[in-house]
Amino acid sequence: MKKVMMGTEAATMAVKLARVQVVSAYPITPQTVIVESLADIIGRGELKAKYMPVESEHTAMSSCMGASLAGARTFTATSSQGLAYMHEMLHFTAGERVPVVMVNCNRALAPPWNLYCDHTDSLSQRDTGWIQYYCADAQDVLDAILIAYAVAEQALLPVMINLDAFYLTHTSEPLDVPDQETVDLFLPPYHASLKLDVNDPKTFSIVCGADLFSSIKYKRQGDTLAVARLWDQVAEKYNSHFNRLHKTVEAYRTEDADLCIVSIGTATGTIRLAVDRLREEGLKVGSLRLAMIRPFPLEGLQRAIAKVKHVIVIDRDVSFGAEGIVAQEVKAGLFGHRGDLKVTGFVAGVGGNDVTVDTIIPLVRQAISGYGNAVEAGMSLWAEVLP
Amino acid sequence: MQTKIIIQRLSELPTAPTTIGTMAWNQTGDWRYVTPLVADKLAPCSQNCPAGIPIPRHLGAMNRGDIEGGLALLLAYNPLPGLTGRLCYHPCQTKCIRRTIDRTISIQKVERFLGDLATDVTIEKSDKTDQRVTVIGSGPLGLSCAFYLACWGCRVVVLDPAGQAGGALVDLSPGKIEPQVLSHEINRLIRLADIRLETGAVIDFDTPGELLSNADLVILDPTGLSEDFSVPTGAVACNPFDEETATGGIISVKLPQNLTPFKAPMIAHYIAAGRLLARKVFDGLRPVDLAQPAPDLPLQAVSIENIKIERFPVSGPAAETETKQEVTWDRERALQEAERCLSCGTCNLCLQCVSYCPDASIRPDGENIAVAVDLDHCKGCGICAYECPRGVITMEDMSV
Repeated sequence: MKKVMMGTEAATMAVKLARVQVVSAYPITPQTVIVESLADIIGRGELKAKYMPVESEHTAMSSCMGASLAGARTFTATSSQGLAYMHEMLHFTAGERVPVVMVNCNRALAPPWNLYCDHTDSLSQRDTGWIQYYCADAQDVLDAILIAYAVAEQALLPVMINLDAFYLTHTSEPLDVPDQETVDLFLPPYHASLKLDVNDPKTFSIVCGADLFSSIKYKRQGDTLAVARLWDQVAEKYNSHFNRLHKTVEAYRTEDADLCIVSIGTATGTIRLAVDRLREEGLKVGSLRLAMIRPFPLEGLQRAIAKVKHVIVIDRDVSFGAEGIVAQEVKAGLFGHRGDLKVTGFVAGVGGNDVTVDTIIPLVRQAISGYGNAVEAGMSLWAEVLP
Repeated sequence: MQTKIIIQRLSELPTAPTTIGTMAWNQTGDWRYVTPLVADKLAPCSQNCPAGIPIPRHLGAMNRGDIEGGLALLLAYNPLPGLTGRLCYHPCQTKCIRRTIDRTISIQKVERFLGDLATDVTIEKSDKTDQRVTVIGSGPLGLSCAFYLACWGCRVVVLDPAGQAGGALVDLSPGKIEPQVLSHEINRLIRLADIRLETGAVIDFDTPGELLSNADLVILDPTGLSEDFSVPTGAVACNPFDEETATGGIISVKLPQNLTPFKAPMIAHYIAAGRLLARKVFDGLRPVDLAQPAPDLPLQAVSIENIKIERFPVSGPAAETETKQEVTWDRERALQEAERCLSCGTCNLCLQCVSYCPDASIRPDGENIAVAVDLDHCKGCGICAYECPRGVITMEDMSV
């Protein structure tokens, strides 16, 4: 069924279709629509779930872990400062291997206070062990949450679905809402293999000495790396039900490209328009969207840029003292694989600056010519900085 | 018990860092040094009540819609509820657990409502015996003592040299006690217990009348007699609160210092003193070889331990200022208030303790009629006792 929805409403719809059993969340702009609408539909009995209005994000994630261990399909949502507040429990949920799915609305971290789009909040949580997926549009939000549950419950790892603040959370788009019966076929109820049971007591998150510690972490590393392929397999299965494919990387006109613009999130759609414009001018440009950042989709990246000579990365984030985080990831992925490749990293669109076609084209020209308005800071070039 | 599993290969590791098999063998009860005791107890309000009234019981009866039953239960511990409902300094309310949730229950207002009910109730009484008791003075202590002795079968006469019954209560200003309230209370008391009350009586121990000379026991009520009343020689002084027993003859009641002279807000203490005195003299009245157990009525169910003299405020309550006489609550409001009672001291299986126990060590028992503690695994953290909204769970040192 076609509907017009904001990204946040698409997320709520997905949670309902996934028949989530426990929602524990604390409101924060721009995620608030999600928790409010979930409270509404649970209150009205449209979703048979337990809604926990907790006092903090730390508790939200703790209670999700507990609910998940008790065998429930569990959801939470947050943004920015709230995600930062969850940090400790992010490690716990991933380490305890509970399949929680969370929506994070990418918003700038304070100070200075800013409610707008910036990816530093979630990218600074990339080492917690969560699967991280960055949505391109509202349809992607709805579909990716359903795929996320299937992946999380198979891999026993938590998944973070990231939505660009306002560009995605608060922009209405037409999208296709799948029917419940087909979703039920794709996503059967969750059956925890190991769960909290007072009649069969076990210790969770055990104390462990050096004898087993590295083996446990090694095993988790292997399982996490395997999610890149698992996601693509589950995405194919989803495609067979719903005729929409949401893989870990999304390449656009890269087959014959000399230059490839790598990005995450909603900027990709605009970048493709810029690609078309630049192609008209004779430049062989392509675009690559990394939908997944953890595990890093190494195979997808390497395949997409096999023939490319120059990679431009546009980061809506920064790792202070280094460079844009996606640029770092791309460089790490290429090291030893394509040593000849030139990589130019831009920091653009942070804190709600619009990344328009007119932003992108000058950046591409600067990457090629070395001349432009973006100013250097370490290995990155920053757009939108005062002269 | 499961044997220890040693993991030797990566493939044997569980997915999550979780124990394989049960952990029930790990008896963490060894860590405990205080133990949750789940037992019905006297509610905090009752513990703090000078008359030891089991308050949740009459509120509970009201909650079931049985207002007359509530009054009967109250009268069993306090035969003058209309007076305490106006005068008592209500220390019950300062301990009400409900105050930690929203506000204390207005126990006194409900008591006043019950006291002012025009309806009569029946209370359990023993059959009349031949024991004759004469109480001289009709203050709250004397009336209370007369009430219990009469309910337990004695033939009781109350003589008051004053023209109006009530003793020290008569002198209170109408702003505190309207005369019609006092007469309503006293009339109900003597009617229920079947007591003969004579006012304007001539008390002369040198030429005693029939009522004095025929009595097995004469009690002089300090709350009912003026200070210049001459106590006859041969009268035995008796403090109702001490451990001494009292036998026949003339008993002159001596109250502790903080209850003399009469203080109206301490009325529940005088009522308790009357009941304790009745208990004391009742045992002495009965011939030992005919000893039946004392009638097991609610009328004497409260134990002396619950009425400790040490709890009395040393300086007494705040100065008796002229307070504005408030109206008696109507039936609807009193019932609403009774409904707020948590019935502290009685487990009603709310299972709050079960929800909060971090070790699942307190759970409903097999028949689902009580909660039971798994002492093999309870670490004695005390969360159950903290969370119990009714004070049923307490942490006890079981080593002594």
